[in-house]
Amino acid sequence: MVSDAGGFDDKSFNQLGYEGMVKAADELGVEYKKVQSDAETDYAPNLTNLVDQGCNTIVTVGFALAAAAGESAAANPDIEYVSIDDVVDQDFDGKTDQPNIKPIIFDTAQAAFLAGYAAADFSKTGVVGTFGGMNFPTVSIFMDGFAQGVQYYNTAKGKDVKVLGWDTAAQDGSFTGGFEANDGARQIAQGLIDQNVDVLLPVGGPIYQSAAAAIRDSGKEIALIGVDADVFETDPSVGDLLLTSIRKAIDVGTYDAILAAGNGEFDATPFVGTLENEGVGLASFHDFESKVNPSLQGELDEIKAGIIDGSIPVTSYLAG
Amino acid sequence: MSTSPAVVMPSSEPIALDTAVIKSWKAPIAFGIFTVIAFLMFVLNARPGETTFRLSTERDAVQLPEVVVNSATTGWVVFLALVLITAASALAVISRRKVSIWLTVLFALLFMIGFLAWAAAGSSLPVTGLLFGSVSLAVPLIFGALGGVISERGGVVNIAIEGQLLAGAFTSAVVATSTGSLVLGVLAALVAGVLVGMVLAVFAIKYLVDQVIVGVVLNVLVTGLTSFLFSQVLAPNAAMLNTPPRFPRLEIPLLSDIPIIGPVLFKQTVIVYVMYIAVAAVAYALYKTKWGLRLRAVGEHPKAADTVGIKVNATRFWNVALAGAIAGIGGSFFTLGSVGAFNKEMTAGAGFIALAAVIFGQWDPIKATLAALLFGFATNLQNVLGIIGSPVPSEFMLMLPYVVTIFAVAGLVGVSRAPAADGKPYIK
Repeated sequence: MVSDAGGFDDKSFNQLGYEGMVKAADELGVEYKKVQSDAETDYAPNLTNLVDQGCNTIVTVGFALAAAAGESAAANPDIEYVSIDDVVDQDFDGKTDQPNIKPIIFDTAQAAFLAGYAAADFSKTGVVGTFGGMNFPTVSIFMDGFAQGVQYYNTAKGKDVKVLGWDTAAQDGSFTGGFEANDGARQIAQGLIDQNVDVLLPVGGPIYQSAAAAIRDSGKEIALIGVDADVFETDPSVGDLLLTSIRKAIDVGTYDAILAAGNGEFDATPFVGTLENEGVGLASFHDFESKVNPSLQGELDEIKAGIIDGSIPVTSYLAG
Repeated sequence: MSTSPAVVMPSSEPIALDTAVIKSWKAPIAFGIFTVIAFLMFVLNARPGETTFRLSTERDAVQLPEVVVNSATTGWVVFLALVLITAASALAVISRRKVSIWLTVLFALLFMIGFLAWAAAGSSLPVTGLLFGSVSLAVPLIFGALGGVISERGGVVNIAIEGQLLAGAFTSAVVATSTGSLVLGVLAALVAGVLVGMVLAVFAIKYLVDQVIVGVVLNVLVTGLTSFLFSQVLAPNAAMLNTPPRFPRLEIPLLSDIPIIGPVLFKQTVIVYVMYIAVAAVAYALYKTKWGLRLRAVGEHPKAADTVGIKVNATRFWNVALAGAIAGIGGSFFTLGSVGAFNKEMTAGAGFIALAAVIFGQWDPIKATLAALLFGFATNLQNVLGIIGSPVPSEFMLMLPYVVTIFAVAGLVGVSRAPAADGKPYIK
């Protein structure tokens, strides 16, 4: 498995993928290796290393590794590749470039839609905000789904809750330019708080820690929404701020794919995580259970059913 | 000495002392370019709506009214004012007068007002929030730049600022978590900075290794070491080692009640107040004390310093260590002053920006501080505009701080002259 720059301890998608792989490998009784990429220039050499060491299934984690994974897969048609978070479609023909790559992707917009609805319902100031690490499709899909959920709430309830940090029409928004939890991310969160935001969705690895710091500094009651894992469980230090988390079951997807590969049943059809197959979902409200509207969970369940049966459309680059 | 035939005696010819003013069209040309940009953006692409400048937050002692302006009208007014300033600067050049620095400041200020009114049309802009964040973002840069100024004034090129910041951030997080003491955390950051500085000093001064190379290697070394320790030690034991307390914001009585300036400058954390003192102390000491004179002497002309009995290499060594200490304190801001927990490579290039601030600030502590503040402002401007939904794409906005820095270095500052012996080891 090759990580991207976040590393295997990012409490986010690299870590989840790794956990899934370890679990599958332990069950199969096979050996696994992990290599961490610290920079973009590490991707290709790391992949070559794993090929040289005789790995027969290689997992690449992250959108950013797609190009390197595509090249490596083309050069080694006997090795099975699992690409987490990207379909590896470098020639943009709508199909995965190599027959030996299995993409594991997630239509997170569906779960983010639910989070947007919940945020809009929770917000007292009528302004909710989001910001991302970089304008990657896998990042912006959260922000886009979130904005759509807020929009749906406004239409359904006749309210006017605003979303800051994401412009659905322009498909652009507020980004820190990196995935470090540093002062830059804190200042963006602070900027959103200055605009009266009372629900924050930071998308991208550890940058939620910066948002949490900004929230604590402000002394206001502002809720945070986690991404990828149920952050309440992976990082209890921000648990008291978390409204909910938008989960991507990267561990489950990776686990299934490796188990299949290990049993000789590798198939390259993409796995798309949706609300229906529980590849994506909304975590529970934990500490906020008593603070949200009692009817909210029921409404969310209805919307979830509506998204699954297609009566509520959620657009994203995966759903078309 | 003077009896040596090799020494060139001062020539007997009288030295011309009239100050020649060089006719430089740089300022009017730069003004002209920005005026054209202003015309294209604020006038031709004027955006409808009103811009609200919020001058105080609900928690400030003195409540200022919100300033609401029409975006398009402001654009016109600013454009005309910029034309006037450009014309004034051109006249000044023609009549062989120097273009006043205040004219440049006024130009930049007006351009910024026009830009903000344009970009934030239809929304409200929190001016205090914008400036507060700018100062906060500039803090590690200023500490780093002070370290850079001291080291380079002494003649040792300090590329390792990034490593010193990162080492400071790491150790302060670990020590503050395990001891529960913020003061010890900052002291640990200081020690870590000194250690990195001393490695640089030993290799650069004692073993005469190329200073740029040592600096780059140190940065990579510290990045690798802290990332390794983070993954192997900190991440599995986060509760014991990586959940440091954070400095609370401390309001200075009276001063924090001043409108705008008060909440921006005097509602910060202790590290920021330490920074104010550090800037003042370095600026004073560098020009007014024996220490400063000796430091500048070994950086400008080590041979001359040596002849009057200053121990060149010892002076350099301890000042590089001192520079490391200052940069190390800056590192603690990343964790104790800002986010709390340490993160891999969390300095994200701040050390290099600090280095740019040193050069841009012409190796002067005050100017370097202003340069760092400019960078902090540009960064936070981009943050704020991203949030209120600016017409400029986010990828371009992320370049803004760097574009501003390049323009400022190239257009407004002009020649930066390094200390004469900067980067040159002294061998007797």
